[in-house]
Amino acid sequence: MTTGADHSVGKDFDFFGATAKVTNAMEEEHQRFNLQQQASRTVRAPVAQTYNTNYAYQPTPPAHRPARTGYEKYKEEPTELQIDASIWGVAPKKPVTPVAVSQPPATARKMMSLEEVEAAMRAEAKQAPPVSLPSQAQSQPLYHAREFQAAAEASPHSRQEKIDPIRQPIDGRHQRGFNTADYQQPAAQGITHGHPITILQRPSKHAPSTSGSVMPNPISQEQQTPPIAPTQILQNPNRSSSEGNRMGIPMHPIHKSQNSIPRGIPQQHQLSDLSEREKAAFVEAEARRAKRNHKIHLMSGNNGLMTPQDKSFITRIQLQQLVSATGDPSEQGNEAALAEDFYYQVLSSLRAGQRPNPNQPLNNFAQTYLFQTGTRRSGPRHHGPQNHVQRMEQQVQRAVEAAKNKPKNKQLVIEGSLGKISFSNAKTPKPLLNIKRTESGPETNRPASGQRTHPVSQGHNAKDTLRDIENVYLTLMKMEDLTRSMPPPNELNDQNVAEKQDEFNHLNEQLWNHLRVHEPISSTIVHPFISFMSYPKGKRAIPRVFRYLSPTQRTTILTMIVIHLDQLDVVRGAQVQTGEPISHDAATRERIELFSLAVMPSLFQLLNESDLDIVTGVLGLITQNLSVDLVARTRIGVSMLTLILSRAELIKQAGQASEQSWQQWVATFNLFFNILEPTLHNIFPGTVTSGEDIYVWQFLAAIGIGASPDEQQRLVFAVKDRVMGTVSMAKTLPPDMAKERLDNVNLFMRSIGLDVELLN
Amino acid sequence: MEHLSIHDPPPQPGGPHPGAMMNAPPPPPQAQQLPPQMFTTAAQLLDLTDKKLLLVLRDGRKLIGILRSWDQFANLVLQSTVERVFATVPDPRDPHRRGLFADKLHGIFLVRGENVLLLGEIDLDKDDDPPVGFEKAEFGLVEKLANEQKAAEKTKETKRIKKLAALGFEGENMGEILL
Amino acid sequence: MPDLTWTIGKRMAFFKTLIDHEVTVELKNDIQIRGTLKSVDQYLNIKLDDIQVVDELKYPHLSSVKNVFIRGSVVRYVHLPAAAVDVPLLEDATRREAANQAGKGK
Repeated sequence: MTTGADHSVGKDFDFFGATAKVTNAMEEEHQRFNLQQQASRTVRAPVAQTYNTNYAYQPTPPAHRPARTGYEKYKEEPTELQIDASIWGVAPKKPVTPVAVSQPPATARKMMSLEEVEAAMRAEAKQAPPVSLPSQAQSQPLYHAREFQAAAEASPHSRQEKIDPIRQPIDGRHQRGFNTADYQQPAAQGITHGHPITILQRPSKHAPSTSGSVMPNPISQEQQTPPIAPTQILQNPNRSSSEGNRMGIPMHPIHKSQNSIPRGIPQQHQLSDLSEREKAAFVEAEARRAKRNHKIHLMSGNNGLMTPQDKSFITRIQLQQLVSATGDPSEQGNEAALAEDFYYQVLSSLRAGQRPNPNQPLNNFAQTYLFQTGTRRSGPRHHGPQNHVQRMEQQVQRAVEAAKNKPKNKQLVIEGSLGKISFSNAKTPKPLLNIKRTESGPETNRPASGQRTHPVSQGHNAKDTLRDIENVYLTLMKMEDLTRSMPPPNELNDQNVAEKQDEFNHLNEQLWNHLRVHEPISSTIVHPFISFMSYPKGKRAIPRVFRYLSPTQRTTILTMIVIHLDQLDVVRGAQVQTGEPISHDAATRERIELFSLAVMPSLFQLLNESDLDIVTGVLGLITQNLSVDLVARTRIGVSMLTLILSRAELIKQAGQASEQSWQQWVATFNLFFNILEPTLHNIFPGTVTSGEDIYVWQFLAAIGIGASPDEQQRLVFAVKDRVMGTVSMAKTLPPDMAKERLDNVNLFMRSIGLDVELLN
Repeated sequence: MEHLSIHDPPPQPGGPHPGAMMNAPPPPPQAQQLPPQMFTTAAQLLDLTDKKLLLVLRDGRKLIGILRSWDQFANLVLQSTVERVFATVPDPRDPHRRGLFADKLHGIFLVRGENVLLLGEIDLDKDDDPPVGFEKAEFGLVEKLANEQKAAEKTKETKRIKKLAALGFEGENMGEILL
Repeated sequence: MPDLTWTIGKRMAFFKTLIDHEVTVELKNDIQIRGTLKSVDQYLNIKLDDIQVVDELKYPHLSSVKNVFIRGSVVRYVHLPAAAVDVPLLEDATRREAANQAGKGK
C-alpha cells in the first residue's frame, strides 16, 4: 500500500509488493526488537521482565499481539492505544499513586471462566482493596496506567476512541506506525522511565534518546499514530501459527486486563462509602461488563483476518465506482457540479448558517468536497479529527486521480453486486404497474378526476398552467445563474457585459411570456396568470420573479392581481362574516398563509416604491371594478387595502405628492369609503371572543388616518359595537391578554385621536 | 466515520468573488461536507467487521455469526454461524401466542451479497436474553413449526400476488416472500 | 417533469442531508425500522443506528440488534422527518437535474 498521496496510482493496488514489504519489515523489526530488548534489560531488568511476562512482546509470536477486537467502543480503557494528552492540549497527567490491585498477577495470566470472573469481582467488591504498594503496581504496570488514563482523561480518551476505529482501516500509513512506534515502545519506556506507568507517555517523545542508534530515522508525526493496525498485518502471514496458539492457552493482554481487573478499581476504595444497593448495582454492572468482555474475548481469536489494507482496498474500489458513476466533479464546470449536487451543497451551506441571497454568487457552493479538499489539505499535519479528515480527503483525491487516468468506465452493473442498481437505468426504471387499457375508451378506465380544486378553464387548462409554472422556474434558474456569472458592474468589460445583458433581456422576455400576464382579460374564463397564482408553487415563485422583472412589469403584475383580487383563491370563498365563526378549511388557511408570506411582501415593497398616481389607480380599480364588500371581508383583501391606504398616507406625510394627484387620491378615497361603509360592521372575523382581528384594526387605522372628520365619525359609528364589545370582553381576560386586545383596538382609536382609556 | 458532522462550525459568511475562482486564495471554509467515503458500502461495513451480527437473508433465514471479511459486493464471511429459527405455537385459546426459537450451529458461512436483506450488530449485553415472548426450544420442533407457518404464508402470498397481478401490479419482488 | 429519482440517486444528494436525522425505513417485507440515519451508499443501502423496530413483537429476531445495514433494494419507503426537508430547494434541485439531463440528451 502506498503511504503518501504522491505515489503512483498503480501501487495502490499492489498487494504483492506490499506483502513483500511487510515481510521484510517484520524481519527487520524482529532484529531491532531483539536489540532493544537486550538494551532495556540491562537498564531496568525487573521492569522489562514484567513486561515480558505480561506481554507477548517476546520475539517469537507476534501473532499473539492483541488484535483489534472491533468492540473498542465498548471499552472504557484504551487497549493498545497510547494516549497522547498533548493532542487534546492537555499536558499528560502523570498518575500519582497507583491504586492496588487485589488480584495477584498470576490470575491474570490464565483465562478465567465467566463464573470465576463474576466470583472474583464480587469478592473484590466486598473487600476494600489496600492502598497501593509500588511492588504491586509493578506487577501490573500497564493496566494501572490504563486505568489511570481512563479515569484521568475520560473525555479526550473517548474522543480518541471514536476516531480510531474509523481512521484506522483506511489508512495505509499504519504500516509505518507499526514499524516504529509500536515495537519500540516497550523498550523505550523501559529505558527512560523508572516506573512502568510512564507508558502513558508517547513513546516517540523519548525515542531519540534511547533508540536513536537503533532507529536512525527520527520519528515523524505520522508515525505517532496509535499502533493498532499493525498487529493485524502480522496476523496474516502467521495465521496458521496463531491458529495453533488460539487453541491452547495464551491470552493477550487486553483481555487479561479486561477480565481480571474491573474498570472500577480506582473507585474501589470508595466502595465502602456506598450503600448496599449501590454496591450491588456496581457489582452487577461490573459483572455484566466482564461477561461482555468475555464474549468479546471469545470472538477475538480471528480478529484482523481482514486487514486494514484489505478494507482500504475495497473502499477504494468503491470510490472509483462512485467517481466513474457520478463523474469527477473537478472535471466539470462549477455550474455543472453545482447542478449535480445542488440540494446537498446548498442545504448544507444553509444549515451552516449561510443563507444565500440568490443574487449573491452561488459559485462558492460549487466547490465540491473534492475541490475543497485540495485547499484544506495543505498545512501541517495534526492529530485528531482534522488529520483523520485530511487522510480521507487524500484518499478521495487518489481515487479521483485514478479514475482520471483510466478510461471512463460507464458500465456499473456488476453482476451480483449488493447494489445491482444500474445508473443508466435511473431514467427508465422497471415498471411496477402495467395497466392495460380496454377498447372502450379512456373515460371508463380513468378514475374520475372530479376532485380538482384548481380552477380549470377552457383554453388554458391545469396542465398548461403547471407547465407555465415549471417554465417560469426554469427560466428563473437560468437568470439566477446568469446573474451569478455576471461581471461586477464597475468592470467595463463591454463585450462580455453586453452579451450577458442581451441574454438577460432574452430570458426576461421568456419569463414574462411564461407568466402569461399579457394574455387578454376575459370575463368568462379565469385569467392564466390567476390560475398560475392558484398553485402554491406559483405563489412561491413571485418573490423570485419580482427580482428579475422591470418596474413596469412588476406594476403590471400588481395591477393584474388587484383587478382579479376577487378571483384569487385566497379571496374567492374566503369571506368572513362578523359574528359567525371563521369557517375556512385547512387548505384555504394554508393558501392564505402562503400568500401572506410569499406574495404580499413583494407587493408591499413594490407599492412602497410606487408614487401616488399608481396607488390611486390601484384603489380606483378596486373601487370601480370589484365588489368591495367581498374583498373587504377577506384577510388578504383587507391587507391589500391596508397597504394601499397606508402608502398613500406615507406619501402625503413625506410631502411627495403634488396637489393635483393628492386631490385625485382624496376623491378616490371618498368614493371608496362610501362603498365600503355598509360593509364595515361585517369585516371582523368571528365574534369578539375569537380574536384574530388585528389585521382589521390595522385596516381601520389606515382608513382613520386618511379620513375626513365626518368620515371618522361614520367610521366610529360603524364599528363601535365591536370596539365596545372588545373593551368589555377585555375586562374578563387576564391582564396580559386584555392588554393585547385593547392594544389592537387602540391601533384604530389612536388613528382618529381617541383611546380606549376614554371609554372606561 | 459517523462522527463527522454536518453541523460543524459555520463558515465565514460571504463567498469569494465570482471572478476570482481559479487562482484566488482558498475560499472560506464552507459548510462541512461529508467525504465521499461515507457513501460507500465498504464504509458501512467497516465498523461491523469482527463483530457479532444478525444477518437476515432474502429467503427469510436468520443467521448469527461473527463478520470476518467482506468485499465490494458485500459478499460476507461469517464465522461461528448459527441459524436461528422462530415459530409461534399454534394455540387458538391463547391470544398472546407463545413464541419459540432454536439455534443450529453451522460454522463458517460465505454469503453472497445479493442474498442479504439486512444485517445488524448484536448488542452483547442483550445477546443472551431471549426475545420478549419467546423461549428456547428444540431445533427440530421449531423448524417444523416454522416450515408449516412459512408454507401457509406462502399460499396466502401467492393468492395475494395473483390478485395484484390481475390489477396490473408487477415487480421484481412479486412472488418472493421476504420474511 | 422533474426527475426525483435521479436527484436522490445521484451522489445520494438527498439522503446525505438526512444523515444524523431519525428516519423510519419500511422494508418490502413490511418491517419498519426506526433509527438514526448514519450512512447511505450509492446503491441506497442504508445504515441505521440505535434502531427500534415498529411492532417489535412480530419481529423477535431484531430484539438484540443495535444498528442495521439494510440492502437498498429491499427498502419500500423511507419515512422522513418533515422538518429536515427543504421542499422548495428540493424542487429546484430536481428542476436543475431535469434540465441537466435534458441538456445532455440533446
